[in-house]
Amino acid sequence: MSNDPIYNHLRELSWRRKLTGAEETELRAWLVAHSEAQADWDAEAGLNAALGRLPDVPVPSNFTARVLQAAEREGAARLLRRGGKWRGWLRLRWLPKAALGAMLVGAGLLSYRQVQAAHHKRLVESVAAVSAVSSLPSPDILKDFDAVRVLNPTPAPDEQLLAVLQ
Amino acid sequence: MSAPADPDAALMLRVKQGDTAAFAELVDKYKQPVMNVAYRMLRDTTEAEDLAQAVFVQVFKAADRYRVSSKFSTWLFTIVRNLCLNEIRRRSRHAADSMDAPHPEQEDQPLHQYEDKRTASPPERLLHGELKDKIEEALAELPENQRLAIVLCRQEELSYEEIAGVLGCSVSATKSLIHRGRETLKQKLKPYLQSGAWGGPQ
Repeated sequence: MSNDPIYNHLRELSWRRKLTGAEETELRAWLVAHSEAQADWDAEAGLNAALGRLPDVPVPSNFTARVLQAAEREGAARLLRRGGKWRGWLRLRWLPKAALGAMLVGAGLLSYRQVQAAHHKRLVESVAAVSAVSSLPSPDILKDFDAVRVLNPTPAPDEQLLAVLQ
Repeated sequence: MSAPADPDAALMLRVKQGDTAAFAELVDKYKQPVMNVAYRMLRDTTEAEDLAQAVFVQVFKAADRYRVSSKFSTWLFTIVRNLCLNEIRRRSRHAADSMDAPHPEQEDQPLHQYEDKRTASPPERLLHGELKDKIEEALAELPENQRLAIVLCRQEELSYEEIAGVLGCSVSATKSLIHRGRETLKQKLKPYLQSGAWGGPQ
């Protein structure tokens, strides 16, 4: 095989496509000057022809329609996956959570109201108790309280007498 | 935004906008080359058909994320390559399960017969049928990356740069893969190439 850049270039072109008239002429001229490369070129050209003769694989006539159907299904599935999350949130997922939240808020409100009512009741009772104090004796009776308090305390009990009496 | 130079990329941008007709146009244009590559990689028409369908569905699925960074065909054949390699790996993991895999004792029998629609007399058709099977077999025996490089090389829409993009290697490495693959093919097909049965030198 030759390492000549002209030959390599033309050979690489021939791997991809049929050479143009001008390229063919250039190659012929080059081969005349480099007859030792003729056998290599014949093998290259033979292989190019062989690969070129490989037939197209038959494609079913409904192939495009089948692909479009599959793509449509895929597109619908993708939309469903995308929308599913949103719809789930809209329709289903929030419902139990919201119900639980409402129950908790309701229970909280109820206990708050009960606490408030109990507090109110106690307040009413206190007010009632204070209002009852107006029926007590006048504070005037306590005017000599301090004087009485400083008087000698009562004598200690006669324990012997108590014992005899028992 | 300026329109992309690659008409297929422009079609793909329309697919991105939800244009099914543009997608159908792309499928129609590329179904044959995709099927050819898939078949030459998998050597099973049914699997090649399923794979080709999966390729286009993947294209459709990925339309949202599509960016015009390279030619559409490069992107498309990269998907073909990835799915083919996945399938080949899957096969090698489940080698025992495949009833369609070629068996050594059946190597002389062609796996699939395709009618050569080019006009030829019955003996010529027989000869071409045999030669075609020989080259399909020789191709199938090449390492995957060499085989893919050679098969892609026959897709005239792809330049060496684009083939390198599909294979994920440099242009020189791509040419080297093709060269090595072709050398193996030339060795295996030497008697047929020398006979000039395929039309001989260009």
